[in-house]
Amino acid sequence: MFGDDLIALTGRALRKWIRNPAAVLPGFFTALFYLALFGNSFNPTSLIPSSIGGFQLSPTELQSIKASILSQTFGGAATYISYLTAGIICLILVFNMAFGGIDLVLDRQLGFLNSLLTAPISRGSIYFSGVLQNMVKAMSLAFLSFLIAILLPNGLSLGKGFGVLEFIGVFGAFGLLAFALSCVFTALALSVKSIDSLVAIVNFATFPLVFTSTALFPEAGFPSWLSDISKGNPITWTTDTARLLMINGGSFTSSQISNLINYSIYLIGFAVVMAILGYVAARSALAPV
Amino acid sequence: MPPIIEAQNLTKFYPPRTKAVDDVSFTVDEGEVFGFLGPNGAGKTTTIKMLTTLASITSGSASVAGFKVAKDPSAVRKSIGVVPQELTADDELKGIENLVLAARLHHVPGSEIAAKAKDLLTLFDLEDAAGRRVRTYSGGMRRRLQMAMGLVHSPKVLFLDEPTLGLDIQTRTKVWDYIIRLNKDRGLTVFMTTHYLEEADGLCKRIAIIDHGVIKVSDSPARLKEMYGGDVLTISVDGDQDLTGFLKTVPDVSDVSRDGLIYKIKLPRTERALPVIIDGVTNRGLRITEISFTRPKLDDVFLEVTGRTMREDEGGGEEAWVQNLNMGRSTN
Repeated sequence: MFGDDLIALTGRALRKWIRNPAAVLPGFFTALFYLALFGNSFNPTSLIPSSIGGFQLSPTELQSIKASILSQTFGGAATYISYLTAGIICLILVFNMAFGGIDLVLDRQLGFLNSLLTAPISRGSIYFSGVLQNMVKAMSLAFLSFLIAILLPNGLSLGKGFGVLEFIGVFGAFGLLAFALSCVFTALALSVKSIDSLVAIVNFATFPLVFTSTALFPEAGFPSWLSDISKGNPITWTTDTARLLMINGGSFTSSQISNLINYSIYLIGFAVVMAILGYVAARSALAPV
Repeated sequence: MPPIIEAQNLTKFYPPRTKAVDDVSFTVDEGEVFGFLGPNGAGKTTTIKMLTTLASITSGSASVAGFKVAKDPSAVRKSIGVVPQELTADDELKGIENLVLAARLHHVPGSEIAAKAKDLLTLFDLEDAAGRRVRTYSGGMRRRLQMAMGLVHSPKVLFLDEPTLGLDIQTRTKVWDYIIRLNKDRGLTVFMTTHYLEEADGLCKRIAIIDHGVIKVSDSPARLKEMYGGDVLTISVDGDQDLTGFLKTVPDVSDVSRDGLIYKIKLPRTERALPVIIDGVTNRGLRITEISFTRPKLDDVFLEVTGRTMREDEGGGEEAWVQNLNMGRSTN
């Protein structure tokens, strides 16, 4: 019965999502704008002048310096968008998960949630359908962003040897982050009574989460205190895992392999803990008052 | 036959000091339409929430369809249909999709869903609109769809919370017809709350009036009107002989007032006393030149019991918000 309830509720949400172009199209354009605009306007290598103190750099020298910066500071990425893609996708996941709960708050305000609570369905299915629907929506956008990044001029250049396993690894990391965040924000959405409260909490939580991670900036540029914080940030674990797999393709140094293993363990642990905490919080939020 | 709903000393306390429902006891028989009336904040919604497992019970007990609400909420949920005052059918889904979703969430076997949906769409005159998205529905169509959704799993008891809130009088009358048909043709037990006293009067076999969390009276509308109101019979006669003394001796007459040749007589039911009065007047050599009577309304009972009219209590914050929301989501 849990499975039937879960499918029925998730199906309802996804059907509404697909039928509403106003909900689907902005997601596509957000991905496009983030990659196209951030990928070009934030590109630090474009800040390098062609002449410094009267010393003129030849186009070859300029290109070489840019490649050297990308290689040393940006994990060996062939283009800045190659570096940025994993972070942008994480950003898209975080904000979609965080605000995905608005539908649940609306369901409460419009009385639909009470209708569910008087039906003989499993309480867990209400919670996990919230988690699942947000995951499906956000992961679709993540995949779309990945394709856009590849198709953009000077876009994502995947490392040599990037194949099916690496693809599964990248989207496995994104999936674990999406699942964990969805658990947290779904439980939060079921617990608050108004959209205002949800938005206030989400804004408070998401910006520090993103800006203390390596999603947009390399750790090399962080002060030591921020570097320490970023190491414990699940967005860093996800971004670094996906970035390593995208940029390096199939060849890694032993320290990179060790990082991949550690981050995977952290992400799985984080997802399990968030699922349990979220479930407990959601049960409490859905209990008769 | 045991009652299908039984509440015993039902109490709901919201900390720190709000007793929303205070030691309420009542029963509803199988096949009965039972109305719950009360001003805003009287405790009727809290009572319905406890009976439908949405709110916990602080003390006392309740059973629905033979299952204890506190001990076996899951069995209660399988036995009840709930039609809330909010319009909860999904705007972006078609009518038929909402109905199928409700059936699936109530675990109706897949092989039965199509037949049940067709039956209910026919019953509520929604066959032609079934393939349209709900956002194109009028308020009355939404309400009918909502009732169909509440019945798709063939519940033993249907809870209707303000079923005609915000509907125009024609649509309201149509909804009343559906409720009567469900009760008469299908033997469905209906527990309803309403703001419209004429609605309770016309639909309910028995009603309970609740105020400040306490049931003040509970009986059939006719009995309550007899107890708290009574008819007012007005007669005009063609002579100035004083009939007050005679009229006061007529059985059941509780009060008589005279204004010239016109008498106003208060009595529980005109039918029983009228022949005696006509005979008495005629025997005294007088002739009745004009006769009329007014029946009491449930409003009079409500006023007597709660000390205020229902109208004074309309427009409570939450209900007004729901009404605005519902009207805003309807196409007309």
